[in-house]
Amino acid sequence: MAKNNKNIRIGIYLCDCDGKISKNIDLEKVKTVIQSEADFEYIRITSALCGKIEKEKLAGEIDKYSLNRLLIAGCTDQFIRRQFLQVAEEKGMTRYDVEFVDLSSVQDGSEGAVAVINSVLAKIQLRGEIVIEEIEVTPQVLVIGCGKEGAKAALAIAKNQPVVMVEGDPGVADGIPLVKGAPNISIKAGARVAGIEGFAGNFTVRFIENGQLVKQKFGAVVVALEAQPVYDKSKYGGLELGEHVLTLSQFLAREKSFSGQKVTFVLGKADADSLLSYAKTLEAAIDLKEKGAAEVNILYEDMKVSADQLEQNYEIARAKGVNFLKYVGEIEFYSTVIAATVQYREPFLTQLDPLRITSDYLVLAEDYVPSPETKELADALEIRLGPAGFFQDDNVHFLPVKSNREGIYFVGSCHGPIHGVEIDREVATVVAEVGRFASGKVKVPALQPRVDPEKCAVCLTCYRTCPHKAIEIVHDESLNNLYHSAARMNPLACRRCGTCAAECPGKAIQLPYYSDQEILQEISKPPKIVAYACENSGFLASEYAKELDPELQENLQIVRVPCSGKIDVIYLLKALERGADGVMLLVCHKENCKFVWGNERAEKRKGQVRKLLKDIGLEEERIDFVHIAANQGNQFNAAVRAMAERIHQLGTNAGKVIK
Amino acid sequence: MIVAERKPIEKVLEMIAPYKKVLVAGCYGCVTVCLAGGEKEVGILASQIRLARSKDGNPIEVVEQTVERQCDAEYLAKFQDNVSSVEAVVSLACGIGIQYLAEKSPVPVFPGVNTLFLGANLDVGKWAERCFACGDCVLDKTGGICPIARCSKSLLNGPCGGSQYGKCEVSKDVDCGWQLIYDRLKALGQLDKLKEIIPAKNWKRDKGPRTLVREELTLERD
Repeated sequence: MAKNNKNIRIGIYLCDCDGKISKNIDLEKVKTVIQSEADFEYIRITSALCGKIEKEKLAGEIDKYSLNRLLIAGCTDQFIRRQFLQVAEEKGMTRYDVEFVDLSSVQDGSEGAVAVINSVLAKIQLRGEIVIEEIEVTPQVLVIGCGKEGAKAALAIAKNQPVVMVEGDPGVADGIPLVKGAPNISIKAGARVAGIEGFAGNFTVRFIENGQLVKQKFGAVVVALEAQPVYDKSKYGGLELGEHVLTLSQFLAREKSFSGQKVTFVLGKADADSLLSYAKTLEAAIDLKEKGAAEVNILYEDMKVSADQLEQNYEIARAKGVNFLKYVGEIEFYSTVIAATVQYREPFLTQLDPLRITSDYLVLAEDYVPSPETKELADALEIRLGPAGFFQDDNVHFLPVKSNREGIYFVGSCHGPIHGVEIDREVATVVAEVGRFASGKVKVPALQPRVDPEKCAVCLTCYRTCPHKAIEIVHDESLNNLYHSAARMNPLACRRCGTCAAECPGKAIQLPYYSDQEILQEISKPPKIVAYACENSGFLASEYAKELDPELQENLQIVRVPCSGKIDVIYLLKALERGADGVMLLVCHKENCKFVWGNERAEKRKGQVRKLLKDIGLEEERIDFVHIAANQGNQFNAAVRAMAERIHQLGTNAGKVIK
Repeated sequence: MIVAERKPIEKVLEMIAPYKKVLVAGCYGCVTVCLAGGEKEVGILASQIRLARSKDGNPIEVVEQTVERQCDAEYLAKFQDNVSSVEAVVSLACGIGIQYLAEKSPVPVFPGVNTLFLGANLDVGKWAERCFACGDCVLDKTGGICPIARCSKSLLNGPCGGSQYGKCEVSKDVDCGWQLIYDRLKALGQLDKLKEIIPAKNWKRDKGPRTLVREELTLERD
């Protein structure tokens, strides 16, 4: 056990869960034993710590005894645990400072409870203190894209900190008039981003400006390159644009009044998957009616209104007399010098001949494609693209405005066509994000992985496998190795997935709270099945699974990891060496890893370990790999049952090392 | 960098079959960088050996240790305690480290890796040969592309008739080294360099195994 640190002040709460725990465990006895053995500041038994008064008391005790770590032993209820975390966080602790011990599933009564509590106390001591680093940062923010979306973001950010807007193509810079004369905003026109160095808070961006290389420092970068509408005539039967046939964006840019005119919009042929055309069409239709258009028709296949304000606008449009006409299948288009006609089939009146509408203007929705600069910018900023060449992967775990790198954000249609209200919301989020850098200083708990320079071979494996570009190789004479260099994880850029630690060939990298020592200590005497579970999916599923089938837990040990990318090859081998009959990896669904590719790395390691086992004549089926989501408790149990059945068939793991 | 890969486990198990206690010795040098013999690979091999031997009902004790470089005596000295307590050693260093450790060790030292070539690390998990350590560099004449390492025949004046569409007749996945040289020299505007015939090489092996002694640097030790 690590030497006890007197700055670590632990409060221990033994909760009886309204008498449930004391059926098997003598809490007074547990308290007495712990008092005689362990190192802590305060201990108390309570009948139910989840009571309202108890929470206030807990907050008071944290202050009174200056507690900075909590060990709460009792029930497993996730909702209640969150309440305690809230109290602790209000008192300045992090989620890592609060440990929960589930006394309801402890074997061997009071003795078992003491053993579990002691091992968690040892873990708290082992972790030591968290250092809060204060980092100097650059308040200035770079906004890439001078369209309306970029202008909106720039104006909002400039209220707190200086903004530079950059636009490669002056032709589409229609937002520039909006920011003219605005304080705190400067514009670099005709410049192109060529590359980026550094990390969130302290980026150095390389521009090519008038053929010259220029470098400038920024705390954060906001990408606001607007998607561009493209008219694809093949989606409209080859119809050419003309006096009476307009695209939606041509129509929106109109200057003349359409008073007394008939206008028909066609939706669903292009841009079928996004809401942008629907939003713009509804707004335009209402506007037309208000300005006295004679007839407004919206021809649609499916009316998509699944975003703020859209359904409301649909109702308003109907109330104002806009005709909503549903079609099915193909539409035929005819255009003459004086009018345009569409012919379509009504889905419900199938006996009817095709219907025809003749209007003064036919308005056709376009497809939205990424700005042509997108790919080049993604390469320059080293950020990922997603479906259809827009920014960002299609991944439920990603926050809309965040890229795979801290400090680089997306606003607006650069990451897929979105409309007004959503953009406002994104701007507000980005303002809050970049606002962290406004004062020029950021405080951050140093929870990023630590590198032991004596073991670091500066091999670049971590640097290359980091999904967040959060690693640099630093040179410093004080670093005690051949190269006087070592990898360093930037505390503002690191998202603490632990992929680097698992990949490191020198075992030089340890992630605080998930060090190899801590994880391997958890499996010192493993039961039949050890399940390494990602805390974003498998671990949450296991908590739910426990409620569904508590008995299944008996021969199962869940080891929580921050991401399946942290599951080291050695964790799988050690579990088998120490006596487990089967090992499971519970990882997020494909393309849904919160940390981009942790689950892909884990899948490769599964393959590697299976081969290592096969080569020595052990059954590779002892390693199971399951894609799972947080809400799939039942699937979790099914996978555990399948594993239990499999190891029953295979028999005892012949490779276990008996000492 | 020296590039190596783990030997198949059955070979390793065969070598250490008679022993009950072995050391798996890693190196923080090239083999760590090429992911073949650093502390992590030491742990993996040790674990695999234990599992295999337990499975066969013939348990073995495996000690793990990694030092800075197995090609320097001072670092090898760190193995002293462990080497004297085991019956055999499996070294995961390159062929150089394995031999040097074997020279210093009282117990047999076995190779845990196959040393492949001198190469570049193209990306995680990908390596490619770049140098033959021939001792007589001609890169100035060949646009910085080594004909010895990159041409399958190590031709000094190529290409041969087996070059087709930029690929070598050995495999369609192998670039013709001389095509690469041609393309590079063309890009540099130095195609005239190809007119020079490179004479046969002195492989510097005429005096047997190569050594390098620089008198201006050597210490006068007794």
